Amino acid sequence: MGAKTEMRYGSLSRFFQAITGLLIIFFLGVHLFVAHINFGHPVAFFNSVLLQLRDPWWFAFFLIFVYVITYHGINGLKNLIDDTSISVRAKRRIGIILYIIYFITIIYGTILTILVVQIPVPS
Amino acid sequence: MVEEYEFEIKRKDESGKVYYQTYRVPKDQISTVLEGLLYIKENIDHTLDFRYSCRMEICGSCGMEINGKPRTACSTIVKQLKKDHVKIEPLKHYRVIKDLVVDMDPFFEKYKEVKPYIIRNDDGVYDRELKQTPEQFYEYANYSMCIKCGLCMAACPIVGSDPQYLGPAPLAAAWRFIADNRDEGAKYRVAVIDGEEGTSRCHFSGECTEVCPKGVDPSFAIQKLRKVSFKIELASLFGRS
Amino acid sequence: MVEANKEIKEGIWSWVKFLRKGIGYFAFALHRLTGIVILFYLYLHYTVLSNLLRGQASYNAIVRSITYGPYDSFLVLDFLLALVIFYHGANGVRLALNEFGIGLNHNKALFYTFEIIAMILLGIFDYYALQFVGVGF
Repeated sequence: MGAKTEMRYGSLSRFFQAITGLLIIFFLGVHLFVAHINFGHPVAFFNSVLLQLRDPWWFAFFLIFVYVITYHGINGLKNLIDDTSISVRAKRRIGIILYIIYFITIIYGTILTILVVQIPVPS
Repeated sequence: MVEEYEFEIKRKDESGKVYYQTYRVPKDQISTVLEGLLYIKENIDHTLDFRYSCRMEICGSCGMEINGKPRTACSTIVKQLKKDHVKIEPLKHYRVIKDLVVDMDPFFEKYKEVKPYIIRNDDGVYDRELKQTPEQFYEYANYSMCIKCGLCMAACPIVGSDPQYLGPAPLAAAWRFIADNRDEGAKYRVAVIDGEEGTSRCHFSGECTEVCPKGVDPSFAIQKLRKVSFKIELASLFGRS
Repeated sequence: MVEANKEIKEGIWSWVKFLRKGIGYFAFALHRLTGIVILFYLYLHYTVLSNLLRGQASYNAIVRSITYGPYDSFLVLDFLLALVIFYHGANGVRLALNEFGIGLNHNKALFYTFEIIAMILLGIFDYYALQFVGVGF
């Protein structure tokens, strides 16, 4: 029971989960509208993706979107695992692994986006 | 021919063997499920064990799963179940001692963890009573109605998957004292109520509120607790406690 | 303690036993389930996007195959995914409002309201999405 006496910031974590959730409503709303309704084409082909990412605003939009939605997803999965009856130590380890996965994902996402922007648009 | 209810009861004997046994109880002899159980014990099978005391939803002893839902047997009227077949099982998420008797000790241990008493910063010696307006009283009045029957613990899906989770009743008790204007102990409780097994484990299925026989709203209390602990945690982040 | 837990715990199946329970339980169970589905899709999406690095021909071939065939049956899954996302989002807004202390006393009404709004939006979204894929009405 010793672990229970230290401050855990559970409410702060839930607050961030809620904030990121609301942000996703905005980001995903825009993404779905642009990608599936107002793109002028049903599917985002190679050229259209490249052209969209060249706009710095869209570039920033997608990067922040990836950071936010991945956090929300990974933290959500962590919440799920915390609700199981495995030991506190195992929960902490899995939590650390999940956050490592989060950072790997966003670093990979950032590198991928930068690399894709640098691809010359085929004519 | 007297009409009968069929009581199907999950039993567990001393050897740990679990089985279902069916009893027939005349409809004109009983009105509540507890009366049905007492009828069985007195007239059919003396070996059937269950807990009860007040018979009027005050003591919180007779909690059990009736037709798949946690209820207090004394206040469950058989006719209102709208079925002649009544399936009775011990409360979920508790260790069964015998038949319908469960071990409530872990529940009360969790209860103690939230410090369910008034905590004051002063020495506690007063020459007059501590004042409280009716508004301040109604802030927590609903939560002081809890009879510790533990039905909410049996209804909560998170208590089911993680028995270490504090659970609805202890957290509602924590809010009962934090919402009390005489209490100054929120900062001492936060480490427990918002710890690894505290409010952040609640995902608001609201089933605790659904099953509470006394109309207490633990899910509401937990959300309120989060707000309190959020403020305290935020303050502690900036070095103010 | 752990030994005692074995006897009393229901396991994670307790999350999905929403039959004969309140609507809040149903919302909770589905929120978890849909969350897992969306997280799985998110990484699938990242994987598909990673193919951008393999060049125009390769990326377009993948997108074309899952949109126009031979793997266009994935589109059915896409519509299910949209349903799942809209459900999760609507319920999520309710939960987020709860987190900020809004609407705590009107949860059921809020759940139904948000879900109905989400399903109407989903209908509109599906209609336009189908138009673009080339299915006329």
